[in-house]
Amino acid sequence: MRGELHYDAVVIGGGTAGMVAGARLAEGGARVCVLAKGVGSTHLAPGTIDVLGYAPERVTAPLVALGDLVAARPDHPYALLGADAVVESARWLQARVESGPLPGYRYVGDLERNHLFPTAVGALRPSALVPETMAHGDGESLERMCVVGTRALRDFHPALCAANLGREGIAARWVEAEIEVDKADQNALGLARRFDDPAWRAAFAGRLALKLQADESVGLPAMLGIRDPHGAWADLEHRLGRPVFEIPTLPPSVPGMRLYEILRAALRGAGGRLVLGAEVVSAQRAGSRVTSVATRAAGHDAAYAAPWFVHAAGGLGSGAIELDSDWVTHDRVLGLPLRGVPGPDEPRFLPDYRAEQPMSRVGVAVDAQLRAEGAENVLVAGAALPGAISWREGSGEGIALASGSRAAQLVLSAGGAHAEAA
Amino acid sequence: MATLSTDVLVIGGGATGAGVAWDASLRGYDVVLVDRADLAEGTSGRFHGLLHSGGRYAVKDPDAARECIHENRILRKIAADCVEDIGGFFVTTPYDDPAYADKFANGCRDTGVDCEEIEPAVALREEPRLNPGISRVFRVPDANIDVWKTVWALARGAQQRGARILPYHAVVAIHRSGDVITGARVRGHATGEELDIEARVTVNASGAWAGQIADMAGIEGVRVLPGRGIMIAMNHRMVNTCINRCQMPTDGDIIVPMRTVCIIGTTDEHTEDPDDHHVPPNEVDRMLDDGEKLVPGFRQARALRVWTGVRPLFEDAKASDTQTRDVTRAHALLDHAERDGVQGFVTITGGKLTTFRLMAEDTMTAVSRHMGDERPCTTKTEPLPGSEDGATYMLGERLERKEKNLVDEQIICECELVPRWKLEESIRRRATTNLDDIRRLLRLGMGPCQGGFCIYRATGILHGLDGLSAEQADKSLLEFLEERWKGTWPILYGDQLRQARLDEWIFQGVLDVEHLPLSLPEAVAT
Repeated sequence: MRGELHYDAVVIGGGTAGMVAGARLAEGGARVCVLAKGVGSTHLAPGTIDVLGYAPERVTAPLVALGDLVAARPDHPYALLGADAVVESARWLQARVESGPLPGYRYVGDLERNHLFPTAVGALRPSALVPETMAHGDGESLERMCVVGTRALRDFHPALCAANLGREGIAARWVEAEIEVDKADQNALGLARRFDDPAWRAAFAGRLALKLQADESVGLPAMLGIRDPHGAWADLEHRLGRPVFEIPTLPPSVPGMRLYEILRAALRGAGGRLVLGAEVVSAQRAGSRVTSVATRAAGHDAAYAAPWFVHAAGGLGSGAIELDSDWVTHDRVLGLPLRGVPGPDEPRFLPDYRAEQPMSRVGVAVDAQLRAEGAENVLVAGAALPGAISWREGSGEGIALASGSRAAQLVLSAGGAHAEAA
Repeated sequence: MATLSTDVLVIGGGATGAGVAWDASLRGYDVVLVDRADLAEGTSGRFHGLLHSGGRYAVKDPDAARECIHENRILRKIAADCVEDIGGFFVTTPYDDPAYADKFANGCRDTGVDCEEIEPAVALREEPRLNPGISRVFRVPDANIDVWKTVWALARGAQQRGARILPYHAVVAIHRSGDVITGARVRGHATGEELDIEARVTVNASGAWAGQIADMAGIEGVRVLPGRGIMIAMNHRMVNTCINRCQMPTDGDIIVPMRTVCIIGTTDEHTEDPDDHHVPPNEVDRMLDDGEKLVPGFRQARALRVWTGVRPLFEDAKASDTQTRDVTRAHALLDHAERDGVQGFVTITGGKLTTFRLMAEDTMTAVSRHMGDERPCTTKTEPLPGSEDGATYMLGERLERKEKNLVDEQIICECELVPRWKLEESIRRRATTNLDDIRRLLRLGMGPCQGGFCIYRATGILHGLDGLSAEQADKSLLEFLEERWKGTWPILYGDQLRQARLDEWIFQGVLDVEHLPLSLPEAVAT
């Protein structure tokens, strides 16, 4: 142990919620450190900002539906956060995207109305805000389109995508573009790096243009650049003379990685620190307060002390909450009490794949101020919160943004007093 | 209605039925084989993969032990490509009666099962994860056998000699004319069309379902006592040798390393219904606890999948209905001409996978006698397609091939290293749209991610190859996800639960497969 490092706040978790909390704390003047076992949800999710897509019917007006959801499910995170917090945090994010490290890149749309965007299998999926690089995929305005894939990318199958979109009433055809690769197992990230190169892009566009018909938009897998996506996308639209859009596919998610870069730049730009590979392995407590957490990172252990902690380490998906082989569910990060765990005689999972699984809503128990039960200086954000089935609801980013922001505000408004007291 | 005519109709496409088809075609008979589902989809495909040395039966059932070692030696040669020569240990753990070890050694000697006692320290050097408290260790020639590969090799071998293999054709009636069985009517699963098959002899090789088929033939009293057992695949080879508890055979006493995983088995519960596949939670716990006795830390490893197999066991006067393990594992060949005065019909059931070839030989020897030409059996020496060079399978074959083809060979399933060309070839050859059929053939989606990454890819490839409609492709994808869930939900804990959650993110979140047009009319309750 190299002695304790002291911060005003320590955020545990490097997904969207943790990065938002960290960045906003730093912007508010707190000395903040984000501890992350690894990169989080951003690299897995499509990179869209989904507030509420299904409740359980497809949602058109997410803020309105959010109000209905809260009335029906008072245990849902949105019941604690409210629509205003979602709106405010989404505005904050849009501003950070526009002032961020990817020149010209922005998110478009608004929270009043979802639009439908094609997935790689050709389903239409509702999102509120999407990167500009996806915006022209809006299923309601799409008339004629061509899905472009490449055999080099096994994670995107344009024929299947086009055929399913056809069943949705969109006149979609598909073509394959030739891309030469130096190894057969490419993913979208490897190809995205090539789209950052203007010369390579120009050659690609030249070959593709020959295969396109007049008046059709072009949908490509989400791989149009990682450092300069705005440049890559705008250049392709210009060269092909038509709307071009990205379609999200299997992880690693290129648009998600862009979002991560933007959030990381916001955190660091405001003076915050990010430690990757730092899994929290234990916590020191004094009564009902957590005083420090210890991490085990390559080479050495370290301890981080702070008057405030934000638990944004995720739920069962990240491993922050674990169901062990003796069927005990616990918070592996801080050992906090959980909510939503089925009783010992109740089923944890049901045989029907499509049923709501009893384990789906497990999270760290909190009060109305996101304060963890039994730990007065720990606030909980993101997928660690109980009550949501975000992958089915399409609510992950809305909850992450609003709860990360709320946690930061709560620390900033209360933290000074605690820091002085300490 | 279409009609086929053949010498031998085989009902049941497990190892026994496919073995009968292979044996019959080698003897020069014309064969049709039917199964209500895919080949080796029933009991054969639902076991732990152990090619017995015979050690397990050396004390309790010496005849079965003799049969096992005899067949073990043959299958290593004729089905070499399907067999991995992992070897086996029988170990006396602190939980076992130490007196059994000497009985075991004597039993092996008496039955001819090769058996060498080695020092526990030697065994622990070879298998460092074994319980360090083991007191005695015997080395035996256990192996593992890839049953899907074996059954398809048998079927392909038979096909090359003219046999017609019809998976997904369920028997709807057995044709009987007086005291002669003349064939059967089957219905195709895909088309719903019926087909009459006329046969000189009909072989009922339907295993745990043999009683049901015999009933359809109007033959009474063929009673198969189904014994249901669960098996759990763990996400890597915690051991590289087959590990058996050195004790009287009981539950949870075998761990079989199989390809990239290892499998623990099994329980044994009486059931009335051979289609009973439910997995009781207490049996999962028992299996994990038993694993812990052989390999400490077993419970901390990741369980990938659980399944049940139903053994076809004949009733025996000595056994009660609730203790199926005491019923003989030896096979039963019922010649219904002798037994019931019904010509043209034989039933083969019971037995174990290791002895399927012998069961097929006995069956076809009886059938051949009925045909009046007594043609000799050649399955002892004739290699199956793919096993001509006699080289047993080596773990690492797939990786070795991949490393030679880094630029050209696209891998679709990383867990099991299934390349795209192999997937495309298999889809074409099988002419199937069922991704679960492909899974059994190639092990696609059988690794840690349970299809999380490869099944979207495979669906895209399936759709692109066959001119399959998107609706059918979507159906294949969704059916695979539902089928996978059946085998995973009872063992979701630890990292495998994380994996399941990631897979849910991919399919329900990123791809939104539950809202593909028209495929799932009912909304998901939240």
